[in-house]
Amino acid sequence: MKKIMVFLASAALVATPALAYKLVTHGQRVAVAKSAMTIAPPIDWNRQQSRPGRNAEAWTLDGMPLNEVTFYGGIAADQTLFKEVNKKEKPLPRFAAGMLPTDVVQMFEASYRLAGGSALFSVDGVEPATFASNRGFRFRYSFTLEGEEVKRLGEATGAIVGGKLWMITYEAPAIHYFDRNLADYRALVASAQLPGPTVTVG
Amino acid sequence: MSAAAPVAAQIAPITAGYTPVDKDERGFWSEVEELERNIKTSAFVIRDPALNGYVRGTFCRIVGASECAPIRIYIVRTADFNASMYPTGMMIINSGLLLRMRDEAQLAAILGHEFTHYTHRHQIQIFRDVKRKANAAAWLSMIPVGGLAAAAALSVAQLGMAASIFTFSRGMESEADAVSVPLMARAGYDPGQAWRVWEQLRAEQDATAIARNAKSRKDKNGGIFGSHPPTAERLATLKTLAAAQPAGGSDERAAYVAAVRPWWPKLVDDQIKLNDFGGTEFVLGKLAETGWTADLLYARGELYRTRGRPDDLTQAAGFYRSATAMPDTPAEAWRGLGLVELRAGRVVEGQAALANYLKARPDATDRSMIEMMAEEVS
Repeated sequence: MKKIMVFLASAALVATPALAYKLVTHGQRVAVAKSAMTIAPPIDWNRQQSRPGRNAEAWTLDGMPLNEVTFYGGIAADQTLFKEVNKKEKPLPRFAAGMLPTDVVQMFEASYRLAGGSALFSVDGVEPATFASNRGFRFRYSFTLEGEEVKRLGEATGAIVGGKLWMITYEAPAIHYFDRNLADYRALVASAQLPGPTVTVG
Repeated sequence: MSAAAPVAAQIAPITAGYTPVDKDERGFWSEVEELERNIKTSAFVIRDPALNGYVRGTFCRIVGASECAPIRIYIVRTADFNASMYPTGMMIINSGLLLRMRDEAQLAAILGHEFTHYTHRHQIQIFRDVKRKANAAAWLSMIPVGGLAAAAALSVAQLGMAASIFTFSRGMESEADAVSVPLMARAGYDPGQAWRVWEQLRAEQDATAIARNAKSRKDKNGGIFGSHPPTAERLATLKTLAAAQPAGGSDERAAYVAAVRPWWPKLVDDQIKLNDFGGTEFVLGKLAETGWTADLLYARGELYRTRGRPDDLTQAAGFYRSATAMPDTPAEAWRGLGLVELRAGRVVEGQAALANYLKARPDATDRSMIEMMAEEVS
């Protein structure tokens, strides 16, 4: 997601600050997206310091344009997935607790189309999946940002738990990079944990 | 160029084979040419020969075959309404424009208007005017990332911004209207569609604003509203111009609907995903003036379902039901109906509707998810 923001910032002639990263070392369980979701990365990752949204966090291996994983840690009702890019004229859709998995996919797609200013976004498959021991969903997508012309593929896995949306996405250029790091992303998803139902989430 | 004379009325209209003569214009052209080279390979350009042939045919009909020949038209997949013409003879049309036109005469009105800005070389006049008032650097700063040449690397994303510096003066708009309305009549189009197209676009801006509790941006928005402000005064002039033409002329609605139809599901889908409830509801209502088709009802269902307020879901169910009662319903109307029924807790009805969808679309990309949702709630 962050690449959309960076692209917009550069397009708007705003000086893009050097993006600061912090190392996430493998072998330790870490909380992500300022939430109750925890991840145990099998390899080292780089966490971007500036967050795409209040309940979001982005990691990369080789730099955001090449591979990007975004954690959405409990998007509550009436919240957007990430920061508004143009609230006045292109407001982002908001999450609602009663959403079905297909509604989440739709909200995700609209958010990307609006933030990236791109009509070249398609969802290529939606299926049931287990996410952090919850019944959830997985979908594949592809998109091209206006002006960038690079076709990217993405995969998202998540679930609605406790009325909030928990999700991890991965995206990378269709050529070479997506396939190269897909297994690394799936390993992160497989390690995701959410507190059990008796624990207050959020 | 220094101390230029006032911009108006010093430039002769363009003729076939025109090439720029002075330094300003040559520099301007070379930058636009680079932009065009990038657009040619852009993933955003719709290359469907049938659609391109139709738009080009409409353009040739209104401007005439010889005037039409050197012009390159690119249809880009962008949901916002816009069209722009560059001084080199490149024309860009957003797919969002095709969704909004009700008939061929309306499309012709836009194309003829843009073409007149080109033949009368309004862009270079503005370029010089801006340069004279400020300086080249200030002009370049209006185009993001260091001038059109660099913007060309950003290609389609910057088209709107590059075009938006061309805020045509009132005199230029009058000139473009005064030339293009008679062109419509000469080509056999109803010249009244020229003012109707701008009137409906103004109304759409109001509808967007009302649904967002915001002030309408119709008089100051970017894109085509920034470069061609459709003021009330301009509308009145367009009406007068149309009235001065001989009666008659056709709108070629059937031809237009048939040409755009293969793309219609994609265009309306792009529009619904803009999260602009008011504007989209207006566009659909305008298209439905001659009756709600199954496609339009389905689209309206999608719009209401996407906004998803409790009352919206009830309304959406009604639209989907009406669509599915029609013989030419899109299979996705069953999907939409099934999903709103599930959200409303009407499980049996939801499962039945989703079963109809999967029967009609056995290869649906969301098949396993839909099947699971239908089971899970039972």
